[in-house]
Amino acid sequence: MRRLRGIVCALALFPVPAVRGDLSAQAIAMNCLNCHASGQAAVSRLPELGRISTAELEQALLAFKYDRRNATLMPRLAKAYSDAELAAVAAYLGRH
Amino acid sequence: MRSVLSRRRFLTGCVGLGAGLLTGCSRWPLSDPAEPRVVVVGGGFAGATVAKYLKILDGGIRVTLVEAQSRYTTCPASNWLFAGMGDMERLSVDYQALRSRYGVEVVADTATALDLSRKRVQLQSGGAQAYDRLVLAPGIDFRWDVIAGYDAAAAERFPHAWKAGPQTLTLLRQVQAMPAGGVVLIAVPADPYRCPPGPYERASMMAFWLKQHKPRAKILILDAKRSFSKQALFEAGWAKHYGYGTPNSLIEWHSLADNPLLELHADSKILASEFGDRFTGDVLNIIPPQTAGSIARRSGLADAGGWCPVRPATAQSTFDEFVHVIGDAANYAPIPKSAFAANSEAKACAFAVVSLLREQPLAEAHWLNTCYSLVTPEHGISVAGVYKPDTGNTINSVSGAGGVSVGNNAEAERAEAEYAQIVYRNLVADSFA
Ligand SMILES: Cc1cc2nc3c(=O)[nH]c(=O)nc-3n(C[C@H](O)[C@H](O)[C@H](O)COP(=O)(O)OP(=O)(O)OC[C@H]3O[C@@H](n4cnc5c(N)ncnc54)[C@H](O)[C@@H]3O)c2cc1C
Repeated sequence: MRRLRGIVCALALFPVPAVRGDLSAQAIAMNCLNCHASGQAAVSRLPELGRISTAELEQALLAFKYDRRNATLMPRLAKAYSDAELAAVAAYLGRH
Repeated sequence: MRSVLSRRRFLTGCVGLGAGLLTGCSRWPLSDPAEPRVVVVGGGFAGATVAKYLKILDGGIRVTLVEAQSRYTTCPASNWLFAGMGDMERLSVDYQALRSRYGVEVVADTATALDLSRKRVQLQSGGAQAYDRLVLAPGIDFRWDVIAGYDAAAAERFPHAWKAGPQTLTLLRQVQAMPAGGVVLIAVPADPYRCPPGPYERASMMAFWLKQHKPRAKILILDAKRSFSKQALFEAGWAKHYGYGTPNSLIEWHSLADNPLLELHADSKILASEFGDRFTGDVLNIIPPQTAGSIARRSGLADAGGWCPVRPATAQSTFDEFVHVIGDAANYAPIPKSAFAANSEAKACAFAVVSLLREQPLAEAHWLNTCYSLVTPEHGISVAGVYKPDTGNTINSVSGAGGVSVGNNAEAERAEAEYAQIVYRNLVADSFA
């Protein structure tokens, strides 16, 4: 719970992204939060985004997209985005 | 541009300081452009999420949520009760966090009419709420004109349980009380309706319980469609766990696409089809066709099909640019009507409303949907989709992405069952807490 609030507060503190690309990254990243970042990571297998660095996030998202890494859901989702979008989302989530 | 940005930063900071300041702010006159007013009607997944995220994105906006009920019961996870998982109490959430954590004004009242020209929402209590922008999220209502004899009164005896609540418990007790070799009929409407895989998950959860307690029972799904969501995955799961495809199967699925159910004979518990076929059971779970919540239809915001057409990029009604419609009530096809989609539509809508109120550039909308279903408490399946608006007024499912579970092994099935339950809790938290 604490982490979720952390991320939500972070979103609130940066409501106006500097560039359009960042706005788009925020719009995508918000959709990540409905599954991730609940603070339940300790008892579940679902990774908590707030604890992962930008570099790790980007690497994981690209690995899902190109089927270098297995998971039940993420490979299906990551394929929807360009590499640049995934990098921007990782940067956005890593920063907040 | 710069001054708008810094003003917005300032306002966000102002709300961060706490509720005391907020109450002070709320006495500012309506016309103050620094504090535009958004009224949200309906506090389900769509309405709660949009209210919360509007305040997160721009604390300077005054957000009032009008919701008829003081507590909300989630439909997601309500099917799981039929397998003996959880209880009604755990499906219930309130609006306290929206109030205290985010500064949403929650009004427990029913919107009885919309005065679109004066931008006011009329309330049952007699009051009214004025808005600069209205977000309508009233969910669904039922059509009682399709199956003769099946109306709101009959639904108390033959529950649809398609809005989670007392009917969910009625249906549960009926299934538990039926004779050992009893039959459950589940009548499923044509598309579009709330939660496309919901009826099949419900059948699965009932079958899980019946297998242990009344193994000679049968669930008969009478479907107005020719095929259904996650069909191959459901059917494989039913074959694995419930004898699907054998004479002793706990579940049978029949398509009545060419021979629709037209009449309920309540006294004899018979459902009759166009060609005169008669179906009977000990428990009749009749899920009627649906439309947008009645407030939307009464206000002229729905089309002939009964749903509210929107410009997807901003969720603006095609009938009124100051009204945004999200969730089940709106037509976002091909995005299915799910809580997950409602949450995603709400976030994109919050972005658009802030941009329009603050005269800032619009972000490109991105929608996501993931529908998990349980075949057993330890066998989960899913379908996912990622959606973007195209240049016209339509929504594209991004090709090459989304689709159904691919794992198809016990390990993946167990993982997806676990994820279904985690994701349910997170979705509720992301929307209401
Ligand atoms: C059995 C079942 C299982 C489901 N399982 C899942 C699942 O696992 N995952 C998933 O993603 N989705 C699932 N769904 C679908 C999900 O429940 C809906 O898609 C979701 O509730 C839609 O949200 P909404 O906010 O649009 O509408 P609702 O949740 O119906 O909320 C509408 C709200 O508006 C209020 N309201 C209506 N009119 C007025 C008015 N005039 N004034 C004031 N308030 C008003 C109502 O009281 C209600 O609280 C399931 C549905 C069912 C029936």
